[in-house]
Amino acid sequence: MNQLRSSRAFAPLCTLVIGTLIAGAVAIGHTWGDALIAEIVTVVVSLGYFVLTGRDSDVGAIYGQRSDERQREVRANASRMGFVAAMLAAYACAIVAVATNQSYWQSDVIVAVGGIGFLSGIAKFGVHDERPRRDYRGIMDPPATFDEEDEGENGEALNGDDTRSDA
Amino acid sequence: MLSNLYIVKNEVRQQRRQRGLSQSDLAATLGVSRQTIIAIESGKYSPSLPLAFRIARFFEQPVEAIFDPDEEEVGT
Repeated sequence: MNQLRSSRAFAPLCTLVIGTLIAGAVAIGHTWGDALIAEIVTVVVSLGYFVLTGRDSDVGAIYGQRSDERQREVRANASRMGFVAAMLAAYACAIVAVATNQSYWQSDVIVAVGGIGFLSGIAKFGVHDERPRRDYRGIMDPPATFDEEDEGENGEALNGDDTRSDA
Repeated sequence: MLSNLYIVKNEVRQQRRQRGLSQSDLAATLGVSRQTIIAIESGKYSPSLPLAFRIARFFEQPVEAIFDPDEEEVGT
């Protein structure tokens, strides 16, 4: 699985699978002719992706799963831009749907999933404070005593004030 | 619009040319893409610390000799 994940065929295969699912939905909800057109478009787009992944360019490296550190940064920035655009589009669709008295739950789902995904990303990729619980002090808590603070090799306090000097 | 994006000037192009290397050669040696070497040389991208150290080690120079610590703020 990891081998496939890191190969240049991964993005085209994902496109093919998603496009085929959409074509299946078209076959169920519409006609077989429409589904066939959707599948043909999917195959053409997937082949286009596969050709793109072989090119010596940023786009080729990103879609071909062989990005270096700068290309990963480019990808992250592009994803951020895409996310913002999708959110704005979802808000615009919701406004239009409400104004025309139509169903707008689809926009709600997109905005909610995007928002939850954003918060999950912060929780996953953010740096969290790893101090032990006893170091957190509210304004009503008594001041820290020297024994509770971290000490250096010579006994000096490494964080917070050294309360011994007040005694 | 300016952001807090800082680019450090560097001597990568000069060092590479002194050794008669192409951008592709250097990219292959460092394990990055040719486009990334172009971006570093043209000052459009500041490499990560690990890559900066790899570059300095490859050129057998201290990091400060390759990368100018004076920051330059750029727009995005």
